[in-house]
Amino acid sequence: MNPDPNLDLTIERIIRAPRKAVWIAWTTPESLAQWWLPAPLQCRVERLEPHPGGAFVTKMSEDGETYVPHLNACFLLADEYERLVFTNALTSDWRPATPTPVAITAEITLTDHEKGTTYKAQVRHADPNAKQHHEDLGFTKGWGTVATQLATFVE
Amino acid sequence: MAQCLAESELDGVFLALADPTRRAVIHRLGRGPASVGELASAATMTLPSFMKHVRMLESNGLIHTTKSGRVRTCALNRERLELVDDWLSAERRIWTERTDRLEHFVTTNKEKK
Repeated sequence: MNPDPNLDLTIERIIRAPRKAVWIAWTTPESLAQWWLPAPLQCRVERLEPHPGGAFVTKMSEDGETYVPHLNACFLLADEYERLVFTNALTSDWRPATPTPVAITAEITLTDHEKGTTYKAQVRHADPNAKQHHEDLGFTKGWGTVATQLATFVE
Repeated sequence: MAQCLAESELDGVFLALADPTRRAVIHRLGRGPASVGELASAATMTLPSFMKHVRMLESNGLIHTTKSGRVRTCALNRERLELVDDWLSAERRIWTERTDRLEHFVTTNKEKK
């Protein structure tokens, strides 16, 4: 499961807090809702079941009243205080999905560091260009392929 | 390319594209300019609500509008859209900012305790 530089990204960070605190921030709905989405978007955590096969569903709102789907995903792995893996290629009820903007598998790893926690997020992506090739020019697929699709449309 | 743009400006572009109604407008304008009336008829909302979306796209530079008589026509600013062409950079940005917020959340929470 080596990363593919064209499709994957890795973010590594030393966080000055214990692993347990980072884990709780990830796995407690009230905590996750506070950092999961950028302001001014508001987040509602609908389901957060950090165990293999558990649901991970979030919604977002621009006005705090109308909430629209943000993420509908499924946990693949959850090792307490160590590792969380989820994918949106399966919905929370295990239905195979073609999510917006792209299918991902995200792996969050926490290891001890003398200053706190080494936090690593590795995100594996499906190839949005390949997907685009097979599907209609669905603009709703997200901003990742916005300009590419548009260029095809215009030219 | 994207790095040359002020962070806040890029934030605005991403925020503008984060909404399905606004993406549908961009999608339609990819085929050429269209009137607000035509664009609004495809959306399932009132005209004032729809105009908020149009204004947001315009204020973030993704489209420009011109008024001729009673008709306001929207057209796409393609250069602006090309800023977000690199999808992996866009994803990296999302995850980097997400990590920033998580870090901020756990470190400030810790200090309170």
